[in-house]
Amino acid sequence: MSSAISVQHLTKDFRIGIRGLKLRAVDNLSLEIPRGQVFGLLGPNGCGKSTTLKIILGLVTATSGNISILGHPSATSEARRRTGFLPEAPYFHKFLSGRELVSYCAQLSGVDPSKVDEAVEDALSLAAMTEAADRPIGTYSKGMLQRIGFAQTIVHDPELVILDEPTAGVDPVGSAAIGRMIHAMRDKGKTVVLCSHLLGQVEQVCDRVAIMDRGKLVLEGKVDDVLARRDQHVMTIESLTPAAREAAEAALCVHGAKVTSITHPRRSLEDLFRELVTGSRDA
Amino acid sequence: MKASLQRTTWITRVTFLEAVRQRFFAFLVILGAAMVLSSVSFRVLDFGHGELKFIADFGFGGMFLFGSVLAVVMTAQLFFSEMDNRTALTLLAKPLSRTEFLLGKFFGTWAVLGVFVLILSSLLGLVMWGREQELLAAAEQPGKIPVQFSAGGLLSFAILQWFRLGIVIAILLAVSAAARTFLFAVVMGALAVVAGQLQWIAQDAVLKPTQNSLYGAFLWVTSRLIPNLQQFNIGDALVLEPASVPVDAVAMAVASGGFYMVAFLVLAALIFRSREI
Repeated sequence: MSSAISVQHLTKDFRIGIRGLKLRAVDNLSLEIPRGQVFGLLGPNGCGKSTTLKIILGLVTATSGNISILGHPSATSEARRRTGFLPEAPYFHKFLSGRELVSYCAQLSGVDPSKVDEAVEDALSLAAMTEAADRPIGTYSKGMLQRIGFAQTIVHDPELVILDEPTAGVDPVGSAAIGRMIHAMRDKGKTVVLCSHLLGQVEQVCDRVAIMDRGKLVLEGKVDDVLARRDQHVMTIESLTPAAREAAEAALCVHGAKVTSITHPRRSLEDLFRELVTGSRDA
Repeated sequence: MKASLQRTTWITRVTFLEAVRQRFFAFLVILGAAMVLSSVSFRVLDFGHGELKFIADFGFGGMFLFGSVLAVVMTAQLFFSEMDNRTALTLLAKPLSRTEFLLGKFFGTWAVLGVFVLILSSLLGLVMWGREQELLAAAEQPGKIPVQFSAGGLLSFAILQWFRLGIVIAILLAVSAAARTFLFAVVMGALAVVAGQLQWIAQDAVLKPTQNSLYGAFLWVTSRLIPNLQQFNIGDALVLEPASVPVDAVAMAVASGGFYMVAFLVLAALIFRSREI
């Protein structure tokens, strides 16, 4: 089976200024994104992530290289029919209601007219937007905008979902909700490509990550593989008395091991925040 | 083909809804309507022309001026708002071709301009009919020979104006597809309207023999590249002297308008195809 996205030797140069100076945004990038996984594309601002996504979606033309989506050349109608895209900080027509927007996007995405209503309800339900679906988009909070954006992304049941900074400007509760939606997509067998600056979230939701810098791929692999430090171990111990600690250190020393640090485990501030404000969903 | 038509229709619907909700549209409709209605009060300044002609000229002027402003500014605004707000990113990432997107924008804006022309023409028709009735009643007074107006002629004029504005929208889309800024698109669009109004000068010059073949070629190209927008301004004759207008004049103008609309839309689609969003 072909990859969800296959990028081969992709290069993109932008011409800037009257003299047409060349700015290389993506430099000979090759990447295989397997199907059915959540893939994180990371990198600092200006590293070429968004340009890569736009080229994949056919919104920008590549200077050189080949891209295929689910076995079809990118930018073809067939590839787009099977892809859903949520841009960074999405903006939608404020006068439409959430339901009208999702229905509009379903029609543009080629959903069978007789199945549009059902598809819209499913997408709104998955995005937890059913209750607010009939309100004008102009009255939505930032988190709701992202969720309705997510609903329009998945309304045509795409096999590949591309999310560009889906949690930018969203509070931790909304961010967690989007994380759950991403997991739900993976559970349905979809491929999700996530472009984000929030490394903590990427670590939580992604199976694989790629890191780009200055247009080049600098690292790619499974999250567990790239983060694990194989030469060190962490033990979590309850009721550790000073005597027990000394005994444990001595026992380890006999085997040539050395304890380099002993700390208390910490929960993340995000976990604490979510624990404290649970129930105050982004409504 | 059917799916393509449906997608274009959806873009048209949303573009229309977005446009008619704009305050700018309402503002220009009110200004245009005020100009048409106030023509009755200003008829004392008719400079010796017939009252109905003065009222008609006033109304035609309002339709031309505000219609042109609306076509130029609204087309550029609707196009650039999609780019600047990045709604175009969301839409064009779907199986929607750029040509369908552009056609949807065109038809949505053209439909709004159709509403504008319909409102002002209806108002103008009412004002002229009301004044015509007054003039007919006073016809027995010495020296007053009332001129009647043709409702059919007014309808033909409205259709011609709609086509003229359609050409302006198509030109604006071609300019916007290449332009990087809203201001540039508006300025170039306004210049195109002025050039279209003055195109007859180039047409006249083409007919005169010239020694300079380069100049002759320039005039020939100019007179064909720029649409003659003056050919749509035959409101006086259509409304007040319909018998003087050749039967096929309106049809020829409509056909010419249709040709230029298609030509500029093809150009816009070609430019927009290679635009990076």
